[in-house]
Amino acid sequence: MQIISKVSRGSRMDQIYIPKNRAGFAIGNYVVIKQLEERQENPAEKLYFYGVKELEPVKLKIIHQVLELINKSISNYENIFITGSFLEKGFNFNDIDFLIIIKNKINHELIRRDIEKETGINAHIITLSSKELSRGLETDPLYQMMLSRCIAKKRFILKIKNKIDYKILDLHLLKSKTLINNFDMLSGKEKYDLARNLIVIYLYLKRNKINTDFVNKKIKEALGLSIQEIKDNIIDKKEFLKRYKLIYNKSFATILKGIEHGSKQE
Amino acid sequence: MVQNRNKLINLFIGNVSNAVVHEILERAVSKEVMADRYRKELVTSLEIAKNYREKINPINRSLPDKDVAYIKEKIIARVKAEIMTRISKGYKNIDLNLIDSLTDKALRDSKIK
Repeated sequence: MQIISKVSRGSRMDQIYIPKNRAGFAIGNYVVIKQLEERQENPAEKLYFYGVKELEPVKLKIIHQVLELINKSISNYENIFITGSFLEKGFNFNDIDFLIIIKNKINHELIRRDIEKETGINAHIITLSSKELSRGLETDPLYQMMLSRCIAKKRFILKIKNKIDYKILDLHLLKSKTLINNFDMLSGKEKYDLARNLIVIYLYLKRNKINTDFVNKKIKEALGLSIQEIKDNIIDKKEFLKRYKLIYNKSFATILKGIEHGSKQE
Repeated sequence: MVQNRNKLINLFIGNVSNAVVHEILERAVSKEVMADRYRKELVTSLEIAKNYREKINPINRSLPDKDVAYIKEKIIARVKAEIMTRISKGYKNIDLNLIDSLTDKALRDSKIK
């Protein structure tokens, strides 16, 4: 038996009145009082989850809140993706990453500030046209990784034809060189970002399909440390750099070979 | 102390060299790089170089001419070596004339010069 009733204010104690004529809940019985779910005036719109198995309800609430803010400012977008560490379990994120797919250029600084004001969380907004997104997905493994775990406002189908462009990968890889000579100066988070960039490129060059779980697993295998250990900067410098340099040099050699091969075909 | 200063200068040179190589390669593939916005948050060599610069005396004014000449020469040599590795493998569209001007700009930006 279930009865829906309202909590009333009493003078010394609050109470819940139930009808005298009822089948069950006899005097002296113990009962459980439970909050009836709040009715929502504007039911939240459906979102599409890709590679996100679960998400804390409070994060979902924030996403809806932010999407509403974006909706108020921009109307002609094609899609919005939420990606990055915000979607990982727990509350160890630095910001929320938004990827807005829109044809024309917009100034998203105002939206970013509104989001920050409303939620207290830093927002990192990237705007791209669908053409730029397609090109990014084709040539940049980091894009593939980002969209392998995301929440989308509209349904989308990820059709990627991998196109290895060695010159672009060379440029991306060069960023990870920073870690080799500046180990002592970098924070754990910076080391993790640079290591992830390196491993993503390494795996992409080996024609692997890139997704967040696979990359995280490979970072652990290749560098011998968990993601958290790297982020917390609990690292055996000598061993870490030995492994890191090996992967860096292998990737760079593959890229140079690719550039050489490409130039002969031109 | 002198050894420490030399070490800092070498670390500075390494990072500026990397930044200059990056800039030159970026210009060589410029049309595709517009999509690289995910990496904009990665710590850059130039930012790190500026951190080292803040520890090299004199902090608030240019370094002595002798030091500037040494740093510039080392950066140019390192950048050339990196770029030549790529050119030898058939990399095209690289503008070698940029090395000097980009090095000068980086030295001015980091108040070495």
